[in-house]
Amino acid sequence: MRNKWVSGLLGVLAALLIGAFIMLLQGFNPLDVYAALFQFSLGGLSPLATTAKNAVPLVLTGLSASIAFASGPVNLGQPGQFLMGALFATVGGLYIHLPPVLEVAVLVLLAMLGGALWAGLAALLRMLFNMSEFIVTLMLNMIADFFTAWAIAGPFMDKSAYSPMTPQIDPAGWLPSIGNFNTTILFMIAAVGVCWFVFNRWKAGYEWRLSGQNSLFARLGGCNIDRNFVSVMLFTGALAGLAGGLLVMAGPHRFLKGLGANYAWDGVMIAIVANNGLIATLLYGFFFSAIQTGALGMELITAVPSEISQVLQAVLVLVIVASREALNVILDRREARRRAKERAA
Amino acid sequence: MIDDVIRLENIVKVYPPSVVAVDNVSVSFRKGEIHAVVGENGAGKSTLMKVLYGLVPRDGGEIYYQDRPVHFRQAGEAIAAGIGMVHQEILLIPEYTVWQNIVLGQEPTRFLGQVDTARARRLVKQKIDEFQFNLDPDALVGEISVAARQKVEILKLLYRNVSVLILDEPTAVLTPQEIPQLFGELGRLRDDGHTILFISHRLEEVLTLSDRVTVMRRGKKIDTVDAKTTSKEELARMMVGRDVVLTSQRREHAPGEVIFETEHLSYKDGEGRQKLNDINLTVRAGEIVGVAGVEGNGQFELVNAVVGLIQPSGGTIRVQGRDITRAPILERRRLISFVPQDRGRMGASLNASILENAIMTHHSLDQNFSRWHGLLLDYAHARRFTDGLEKQFSVAMASKFNPFRSLSGGNQQKVILGRELLLDSVFVLLDQPTRGLDVGSIEYVHQQVLRMRDENRAVLLVSADLEELFLLADRIVVMHRGELVADSPVGQTSLEEVGYRMLEGRGEPR
Amino acid sequence: MRLLVGLINGMIAGATPILLAALGGAFTYYAGIFNIAMEGMMLAGAFGAVVGSYFLHSWVLGIVLSIAFALVLALIFILFSVVLHTDEFVTGIALNLFAVGATTYLMRQTFNVKGVFANEGIIPIPRLDIPLIEQIPFLGEVLSGQNLMVYIAVIAVIAVNFLIFRTRFGMRLRAAGYNAACLDSSGVSTARMRTAALLLCAVLCGLAGAFLSLGYVTLFAENMSAGRGWISLAAIILVSGNPTGIAVISLLFGFSDGLGLLLQDYRVPSQFTSMVPYVATLIALYFYSVKERKRKA
Repeated sequence: MRNKWVSGLLGVLAALLIGAFIMLLQGFNPLDVYAALFQFSLGGLSPLATTAKNAVPLVLTGLSASIAFASGPVNLGQPGQFLMGALFATVGGLYIHLPPVLEVAVLVLLAMLGGALWAGLAALLRMLFNMSEFIVTLMLNMIADFFTAWAIAGPFMDKSAYSPMTPQIDPAGWLPSIGNFNTTILFMIAAVGVCWFVFNRWKAGYEWRLSGQNSLFARLGGCNIDRNFVSVMLFTGALAGLAGGLLVMAGPHRFLKGLGANYAWDGVMIAIVANNGLIATLLYGFFFSAIQTGALGMELITAVPSEISQVLQAVLVLVIVASREALNVILDRREARRRAKERAA
Repeated sequence: MIDDVIRLENIVKVYPPSVVAVDNVSVSFRKGEIHAVVGENGAGKSTLMKVLYGLVPRDGGEIYYQDRPVHFRQAGEAIAAGIGMVHQEILLIPEYTVWQNIVLGQEPTRFLGQVDTARARRLVKQKIDEFQFNLDPDALVGEISVAARQKVEILKLLYRNVSVLILDEPTAVLTPQEIPQLFGELGRLRDDGHTILFISHRLEEVLTLSDRVTVMRRGKKIDTVDAKTTSKEELARMMVGRDVVLTSQRREHAPGEVIFETEHLSYKDGEGRQKLNDINLTVRAGEIVGVAGVEGNGQFELVNAVVGLIQPSGGTIRVQGRDITRAPILERRRLISFVPQDRGRMGASLNASILENAIMTHHSLDQNFSRWHGLLLDYAHARRFTDGLEKQFSVAMASKFNPFRSLSGGNQQKVILGRELLLDSVFVLLDQPTRGLDVGSIEYVHQQVLRMRDENRAVLLVSADLEELFLLADRIVVMHRGELVADSPVGQTSLEEVGYRMLEGRGEPR
Repeated sequence: MRLLVGLINGMIAGATPILLAALGGAFTYYAGIFNIAMEGMMLAGAFGAVVGSYFLHSWVLGIVLSIAFALVLALIFILFSVVLHTDEFVTGIALNLFAVGATTYLMRQTFNVKGVFANEGIIPIPRLDIPLIEQIPFLGEVLSGQNLMVYIAVIAVIAVNFLIFRTRFGMRLRAAGYNAACLDSSGVSTARMRTAALLLCAVLCGLAGAFLSLGYVTLFAENMSAGRGWISLAAIILVSGNPTGIAVISLLFGFSDGLGLLLQDYRVPSQFTSMVPYVATLIALYFYSVKERKRKA
């Protein structure tokens, strides 16, 4: 447990140092960059609110990937499920008109439905034809990308706009802000809570976790592997879909071109650094959001392009994961050497 | 003149984080001798050899080869120096032919780095003829027998001109008839001047083959003795550390009604090979039936068909009169307790907590684990249950929330046995339940197996260890090439007869 | 006839990057590496090619830089997965992300544009007209006048086949994948074989990237590999790494690409025609999976 924190912190530090090195190479002052990053992400109530809001899709797709990986299915389809969720919520918001609270509830459910259906398609192909969900979800990502691009340029396009986008959804479906903070954050916190509860208290969650660790053992123990596979795919698809829906409802209130581009792989990446831990997913999701949010502000006052955040993130992933494994090996070896000395003496 | 070719001095090896596998061992091997290293599972014999070979880095001590200190960091260096090792799990590439496997790493080449196939085959053929190994250089290794693969491994080393051969339990994978042939070949090699180090725990063959014997116990060297002046009993005493009395504690009692039954059970695998052929087997309440057989003769398929991992191609399986041939696994588990042979793969999740491993199957069969109509798992009950199991089966554990892998092998098996015995089952299926355990744990498992019988459960025990079967079983059946070739009460058969059936099947006794 | 020539040329152009990357992946596949970084290597190669071609005014140097950029990714892969034993899947994912991030960042940094960098100054890889053959009606239009990289890809199929199945290197490479412990105990370092496989993979992925940005089109766009690395991975899996099989399967994917372009003429929305290669991958996977299941059952 303590090791997890130590390797996480060491990894973050090392990654920031490497990032600093890259910036130095390019002639930027890393201290200025990091100060700006911090200032525009966590340095005050308003940046904090933006960071929290931007963390929502990261954390939700991260949860989706974490739960899938921890339970066995290699669901890499968060990007596609995200887009389908966003599309479902948008289309619902265009044609369904209900009182505010009800409208929000319906759109949230639609978003989850969209993601779950898209993931369910992959689950179905796996169950019927034994097609590996790893490749299927990847291909479905590309297909969802083109499909939604068509939807917002064709049937649901805002005729008055110059680039492909839908009209705005019914304002009843807009997520309101309380002070600086958008209520989308509440959905994220609730989702983390629900996920934790399902994973650690539900009987199904127990079976998911055990199947993820050793599926043969779980199968012999009487767990229904197929049913669990489908339910995990639907559940994690719904999470990714929710992320897409919430993004539309909290932000632009419409489906813009390139809506999901920035969140494409971030969920998988966060799950990997978090080692599929739910709380760790929340923390890393927030951290990554801080980098992304801060980078946008940093760009305004330094000469460094905001895309540096993407480089930083990839370095973070590699370094954190490598240091986690390296630290365990080092600790084990040290213990072994100690024992050996005792014996030889 | 005594000529020590290898000397090991004060070797220490600790596997991270804290398993002391080799504990300050010093031993020397002479040129041109067959030297056996014996000891129980986990005594450190294999590790000692791997340290010598450079496969496992040592934590202390010195190795002298031809009086020079050496430190092999990888197998290639040892081979280059003239020391080769044949591993217990055979390290060959099934997709390659015999000659490809032999020359791999020292391939003769032509222009553009092409493998010179003709020359390689000729060289291999020469070696095969030189040492009178009966092998086809063009056969795919995946398609030849285990004994032949072992020969390929040995040839691979001879091709590299090694003078010291280390063999790790070479007879474990062989049938009794194949063993004399191997011994003949090893004897010829010794007479040729090769030094052979030979790991085993089968004392009889050790005494037949070797010149000297080193005994290890719990990582320590006990002694090195001359094979001619020692006896099986003396070696056994040194290995175990006390007199070994393997006597049955079985109490006679009449078995009850038939609990487990298969009729015409058959199974063909994906490539159409008949793995199970018309198996008719019954186990009664309060009866232990032992399944003997050379590994790979259908025992594993029988076990998998009973628990539901594979679908039989014909026949029925009944437990307590219920046809479970096509039942889902969970339905079977209401009736069947199952202890698999591979703890880490089938019996437990090593990374999950002890608690999570202990409640598997119970969590869905026992209503006390359910809350909210089965939606939630009652973790409070799970903790009580695990505490109960810990006490009842005297499991030594620091905390039930620690990962399962933190337990020793014996304690892991106790948790698995406990979990399965606490199930309300009528039939117990045990697949090699003592594999890889130390003596104390083996005794414990044996007691538990007998306890199951006293609880009037029907027990089917699959074991590769004939002595274990004769110790526990009421009836012994023998599997040979997917068929049951013998079935008799333990009082009416003998070790020799069962051994013969294992090899020859139904054939007439000589 | 025009239609057929267009379709075939579309197929060849669509197949080339997938073929090159998949041939690279064949090395790592046989070496027993779960390598999913082809996507990133291809993208890095595409970017390197544009940088080289634009600043050094030479498509040859563009190709050189494309290989160099892909090699940088391979070196990182080697550092983490071969040296530090980080999970290969994780390393691959992170590298793909790194490639997207780094190329986007560097494009912004060096060319001061977002999204797409297209410029007259980018010198494309030339087409190669083969004398005599170009005179042959129909065949000439297909066999001659293709991009140089297309011919390189054809040569690569033969070379990779030769390397993997005929040479000492190939024998050891495959041994690393079949049984690493066996190769190590034979005195050949598996780590070294895997390093070599990754470097070779990067070279071919770099070429694939160079074709994308200096052949298929003459520009660099953000994330322009667009899943082709994943399709190559699927191609490798579908034929278990066999180079000839990869060539056939790549042509199939190329055909679906060409088909997509063709369909656009029939007023099918371009978004749907762009989906075709991905749907084709799913269909191929369907046949593969059904066959696999029959074999196992």
